[in-house]
Amino acid sequence: MAHPLQLGFQDAASPVMEELLHFHDHALMVVFLISTLVLYIILAMISTKLTNKFILDSQEIEIIWTVLPAVILILIALPSLRILYLMDEINDPHLTIKAVGHQWYWSYEYTDYEDLGFDSYMIPTQDLAPGQFRLLEADHRMVVPVESPLRVLVTAEDVLHSWAVPALGVKMDAVPGRLNQTAFITSRPGIFYGQCSEICGANHSFMPIVVEAVPLEHFETWSSLMLEDA
Amino acid sequence: PNFSLRLSARWHTSFRPTGGREQGVAKVEEYTLPAYFDRRENPLPDVCYVQNLSPEQKSLKEKEIGSWAALSNEEKIALYRISFKQSFAEMNQGSSEWKSVVGGMMFLIGFTGLVVLWQRKYVYGPVPHTFDAEYKAKELQRTLDMRMNPVEGFASKWDYENKQWKK
Repeated sequence: MAHPLQLGFQDAASPVMEELLHFHDHALMVVFLISTLVLYIILAMISTKLTNKFILDSQEIEIIWTVLPAVILILIALPSLRILYLMDEINDPHLTIKAVGHQWYWSYEYTDYEDLGFDSYMIPTQDLAPGQFRLLEADHRMVVPVESPLRVLVTAEDVLHSWAVPALGVKMDAVPGRLNQTAFITSRPGIFYGQCSEICGANHSFMPIVVEAVPLEHFETWSSLMLEDA
Repeated sequence: PNFSLRLSARWHTSFRPTGGREQGVAKVEEYTLPAYFDRRENPLPDVCYVQNLSPEQKSLKEKEIGSWAALSNEEKIALYRISFKQSFAEMNQGSSEWKSVVGGMMFLIGFTGLVVLWQRKYVYGPVPHTFDAEYKAKELQRTLDMRMNPVEGFASKWDYENKQWKK
């Protein structure tokens, strides 16, 4: 999760998010260069005492400031399209999980082998254990095996929601009557927080997503325990 | 289209209604009535500043027709002031207006700060208990224990061996 006053992205916990971080660095650098150039030109224009009322046209600079932005746009588009296609790669998930958005909680279904399903409600502020994060903790986390390709099918039961986990670089709208598929691999074990990302009513800010990536043995233990409890 | 452009260009260059008020050698623009204005990039306005000369100014204008060496300094300045309202130095000088602007801006920002402070004290309710120092310390400990953002972010700045922040 983000620490207080954090401005940048969280560290990537999946390979796609790493790519997105690098692309963001590249695009932001282009943006800073252009902004610095424009700011310099503005300051130069304001502070000069030279005037010329009779300029009509200038072919050379017109060519430059048409071709150069086109080149810059291509330099941004190429890595962008590369990541776009990378995200759409055919993969072979080890596990498929369904994330269903309700007002105002998520429910997860692991139906590959057994029928495991449970709801994930936010822990209210007054019920937090000391040290837990306000508005981010949920009573049941979505536990996944680490370093395994996973498929998540996102849908909604009532209104639009959106299933998002920034550290994994994942956001997928939950549309009622539609199954949206997204995939990710967690590179390292840990707990990754996200929040509902589509306005869905009064408690839209209070239905977080918590993904816990654990080694496979622990995942198997957890799913057996959850099946017993159900 | 070319035909009509050429026609209008000829109209503008051959027929120039100036009313005999041309000041200098600059080309007179025909799209508005001639006006006087003090601008650095327009050093020779279309008309003189003083349109209706007083009798002394008229006699000065007569004297100007002769040798300029015969004019005294005051007369030269008087002739200048007939043609121009402000000299370049007067026109380009700055004002102290920026001081009032910056002062007013700082006052308004300060006033806004006072309003915000009042709001915090009298309007808003208490913050959640998770903002207590003790709770925040536990949160921090948990964040480090969970190795949050261990690559370049939060936990990467903590030295786990020596239990302190990295220098």
